Amino acid sequence: MPNQSNDPAELWRTFLAEAEKNYNNLANQAMASPEFSRLMNQAGGASFGAQKMLGEMMERYLGSMNLPSRAQLADMGERLQAIEAQLMEIKAMLVASLGDAAAAGATGVAPRPKPPRTKRPPSAAAGAAGGNGP
Amino acid sequence: MSPAAQQAQADIAGRLQQEIQRAVQRSIKGVEYIGSAAPAMGVTPKDVLVTRGTMSLYHYRPLVDEIYRVPVLVVMATTNRGYILDLAPGQSFIEFLLKRGFDVYMLDWTAPRPDEKHLRIDDYVLDFIPDCIRRVQQDSGEPDVSIVGYCFGGVLSLLYASIFSQGPLKNLVCFTTPIDFREMKLFHNFSDRRYFNVDQLVDSVGNVPPELILSSFEMLRPVSRTVGQIQLWENIWNDEFVKSYRMFDRWSTDTLPLAGEYFRQITKDLMWGNKLYERTMTVGGHRADFHSIKVPLLHAVAEHDHIVPYGASRHLIPNVASTDKEEVVLKGGHISLVAGANAAKRLWPKLDSWLSERSV
Repeated sequence: MPNQSNDPAELWRTFLAEAEKNYNNLANQAMASPEFSRLMNQAGGASFGAQKMLGEMMERYLGSMNLPSRAQLADMGERLQAIEAQLMEIKAMLVASLGDAAAAGATGVAPRPKPPRTKRPPSAAAGAAGGNGP
Repeated sequence: MSPAAQQAQADIAGRLQQEIQRAVQRSIKGVEYIGSAAPAMGVTPKDVLVTRGTMSLYHYRPLVDEIYRVPVLVVMATTNRGYILDLAPGQSFIEFLLKRGFDVYMLDWTAPRPDEKHLRIDDYVLDFIPDCIRRVQQDSGEPDVSIVGYCFGGVLSLLYASIFSQGPLKNLVCFTTPIDFREMKLFHNFSDRRYFNVDQLVDSVGNVPPELILSSFEMLRPVSRTVGQIQLWENIWNDEFVKSYRMFDRWSTDTLPLAGEYFRQITKDLMWGNKLYERTMTVGGHRADFHSIKVPLLHAVAEHDHIVPYGASRHLIPNVASTDKEEVVLKGGHISLVAGANAAKRLWPKLDSWLSERSV
């Protein structure tokens, strides 16, 4: 294999890594100034203000067309999620109150055997093994 | 021609041939890449114990016949999804813990709904985490629980541990958790109180959109996305590289919105007031001073963390009241600390050895 100093692919990779580091550092220095913060927040504030206005206009327009807005569809999705969550709560309560075997019959889900909580850390296991030795 | 020169010529010819083969592979695999689905993530078998709005609690099914007594609750950062800790089989932190005999639960987040814009840090610390702890206790039948908090999940876990210092928390593990928010210098400048009107933002958008969160993360390393794409093209012949790139790229762009009031509180109390570091933080009227934490505590931080630099996280271990405490500074960045080959080699075994001793 060619050594690293004359391998063009390796040189390219090194260049790329260095360039990434340098440009990121340069940009970070520029972004650390109060002036950058002022400009960024000015632009951000204007953009969110415009977005809000556009959203309100669209909602009025969709309402006049007798169509649901995105917010209304999201609300509907939320209701479905809430119903799902409540079903899961009921299922969990059923399992808790009937016990695993009965709940398995009621829910159609077989209970999983739980492994014993007796595991010892490797150091204790090694110590025990040492203790049993001659 | 000398033998050395002949050798060099043969090397260059071999390298040229390899590059031509790779160029051909790039064309073929590049087309495949566009048409193929992203690799499946978060597939370790689990049961959803509860979903309540933005909160989800999973229980991962044990993979071994004998487990440690104390269950582990992983608290994910609120900005991103938990599957970063459960990448593909063989590269999953969760799978690693299960195979090492831990009983693992995860408090994960989904996008807060519009009607959840009023959620505050109080809801996360005094409601979601205690509710999950109670459910973990119920499901496992064990009174003690260990918590592993990643990034802002670590901050929430610290606030919880500060307020509920009488238990039932058995051990606390934080990954790359900020304490001194002034040291997150660029975030601090982006949210400079002279120019950043957080009230106007939250009042106009409700929940803070994921695009804003993502762009503020990406601005920390503005060139890295482009360089990443160049590297992808260069390595597109390499299936393993492409798989890994896609997993991390998908996760890092799958940012969650933040509940409006929660964001407002983070900005005012933590970013502007630096109340966690200053020990003046209160949550729902409770004083949340991390100096009062007494449980065994492990804090893992990354040497090259561009999101939570060491200056922001280094104050945790020296200041907690715990006598059993340890800080480990590992090679890597904010994400490679917890996921990927680097994490599998460094952080995971460290956590296993630390937590296993304290989980009986």
